[in-house]
Amino acid sequence: MSRVGIPRSLFYYYYYPLWKSFFADLGAEILTSAPSNRHTVERGIELAVDETCFPIKVYLGHVAELCREELDYIFVPRLVSVEARSYICPKFMGLPDMVRALIKETPPLIDITVDLSCDEKCFQKDIIRVGRLFTRQARKIQLAYQHGCEELRLCRSLASQGFTMEEAIKMWEGEPMEAESETDLNIGVLGHGYSLYDERISMNLVKRLRAMNCKVLLPEHLGSEVVEAEAATVPKRVFWTLGRKMLGSALHMSQREDVDGIIYLACFGCGPDSLIGEIIERKVRDNKPFILLTVDEHSGEAGIITRLEAFCDMLRRRRNYRSESKLSPYGASLHSFENTV
Amino acid sequence: MNLYLGVDIGSVSSNFILLDQNGRLYRKLYLRTLGNPVKALKDGYASISDGLDKQHGKIRAVGSTGSGRHLAAVLLGADVVKNEITAHAVAASHLFPGAKTIIEIGGQDSKIIILRNNIVHDFAMNTVCAAGTGSFLDQQSARLNIPIQEFGDYAVKSGHPVRIAGRCGVFAESDMIHKQQMGFPVEDIIMGLCEALVRNYLNNVGKGKKIEEPVVFQGGVAANRGLAKAFEKILGLKINVPAHYEVMGAIGAAILAREQMELSHSPTRFRGDNFVLEGNFTSNSHECSGCPNLCEVVCIKRDNEVLAYWGDRCKKWESSIKQPRDRLKVV
Ligand code: SF4
Ligand code: SF4
Repeated sequence: MSRVGIPRSLFYYYYYPLWKSFFADLGAEILTSAPSNRHTVERGIELAVDETCFPIKVYLGHVAELCREELDYIFVPRLVSVEARSYICPKFMGLPDMVRALIKETPPLIDITVDLSCDEKCFQKDIIRVGRLFTRQARKIQLAYQHGCEELRLCRSLASQGFTMEEAIKMWEGEPMEAESETDLNIGVLGHGYSLYDERISMNLVKRLRAMNCKVLLPEHLGSEVVEAEAATVPKRVFWTLGRKMLGSALHMSQREDVDGIIYLACFGCGPDSLIGEIIERKVRDNKPFILLTVDEHSGEAGIITRLEAFCDMLRRRRNYRSESKLSPYGASLHSFENTV
Repeated sequence: MNLYLGVDIGSVSSNFILLDQNGRLYRKLYLRTLGNPVKALKDGYASISDGLDKQHGKIRAVGSTGSGRHLAAVLLGADVVKNEITAHAVAASHLFPGAKTIIEIGGQDSKIIILRNNIVHDFAMNTVCAAGTGSFLDQQSARLNIPIQEFGDYAVKSGHPVRIAGRCGVFAESDMIHKQQMGFPVEDIIMGLCEALVRNYLNNVGKGKKIEEPVVFQGGVAANRGLAKAFEKILGLKINVPAHYEVMGAIGAAILAREQMELSHSPTRFRGDNFVLEGNFTSNSHECSGCPNLCEVVCIKRDNEVLAYWGDRCKKWESSIKQPRDRLKVV
């Protein structure tokens, strides 16, 4: 049986169920790297060119970890586009090349090109080409791919019930997951999934917010029609798939009564983030409280925690004020003090 | 007399204040942290509480803020542990009800807080650039051989401030050296630096924020009159500097502690003199090898008793303590 390594990073968080069930149906054994930890990050930083963004550095760490295992292949797809007229950040296009250039002695890479921007024909051929590594039956390969797509849909529908993709993947693999408990704040959180759901990169953003008694609303929880419709309201179409999804989600969240505030997680040094983050900030700011958190390999958790706490404080107090409770914005009445400090 | 202790432990300075029942400042203390917050806390507490007994002062509640707020909470026993944004906002809107903008510049960070109806409406903290903070001024004063305390006096004497590039600390420094060599008077260079710092602050921290009056300028750097003047000139707004600008975070923490006491009617968590003064506190860290996360776990001890752990992602160290830290839960 062939063993295929899949790095637990980048598009893992969007497509793992498809990949896993595709390769499994073809009889391969799948091995993933461990969730990002200090070693992965340090290794990735050592390997990467300094200018690359943080998530790509982390990815390299994952690949390096997998290289230590006995593997027949490592799956490093070349993602260009996953839907018509839209693209993935150009860094993904060069991923297999980057891996080859920076990591010596990798097992053979499965570097299928995924480009659905115009038509699917080439892609279908490529799938067959990849499948042939494991079987000669074209039909079996096609079925495996279809099955993979179904599994992916299933996993996404799990996520849509209030979970992150990381959690949804775990549930899809059979791990039980607790639903959110009662919360008093509802916060929209945006960012590239591979930053947001990687606990190391996001410094556990989603779980931290939940621990602060917030319900977290993610793009995966919204219907894609709503998101696309909102995204279509800006004058120039955003041709990055993830960027458009975030923009549409942000616009939608900013109009929802039940959303108290919006957080955007950006990566320092990310081109798309610097544009999309800025557009979102401008569009959303007047309707909803908003903060942009920027992370990179040097960020300390303390700075993030302070901002999150301050943000939650602010939301709670603004709401208390709106509901005209007798409480002052800071708890007891401030002005019972003589003003004499 | 009922007193409320507020402490603000930052990376550069540690501030302590005592507030009386009526919100009057009773004592204040501004110390350099010098990389040793445990010592700063102990020394600071010792001097701020010195002789309180004889004067019938009693600490009723404690609030902590700043990057060392959790440490302070463990060592002293705090009733309220608050982030710096909220603490500064509370103090400013207490002093200047109706204030709309707070400019806070401290040793290593700076923030802007926008208030509406005395509530935080929006805020930002600087992320990358140190050119807009106190350590930058400290460095430059050392370079110019002028004590930092006199920086402001020089600055306000300037008639024609020199324009200094403020985009980044490194450029500002080389530009300043250049202007010095060209023979510009030192007052004009210093005022030029202040203006550069203000522009830098407004571009980085204040980016996209609507700065409206009344404006309150606080934090250690507000000591520098040149900066307040530069803000007034560049913003065209009146700048208010509170009398105790350097301890506003601590004042906010004390106010919150007092409120907490009034709301909860529960006894204070403050540990008292003996606990703080007679124990030998140590903090050390080790790398946990329990899983690939390799967390840097910090352990705070009083003599041989472990008071707190943090830094462990899975909370296995934290929950190993008999007396759980949720006593100190962030409010
Ligand atoms: S979108 Fe940004 S974070 Fe993602 S790969 Fe591209 S540069 Fe990196
Ligand atoms: S503290 Fe917990 S999460 Fe961190 S290394 Fe140890 S076992 Fe792992």
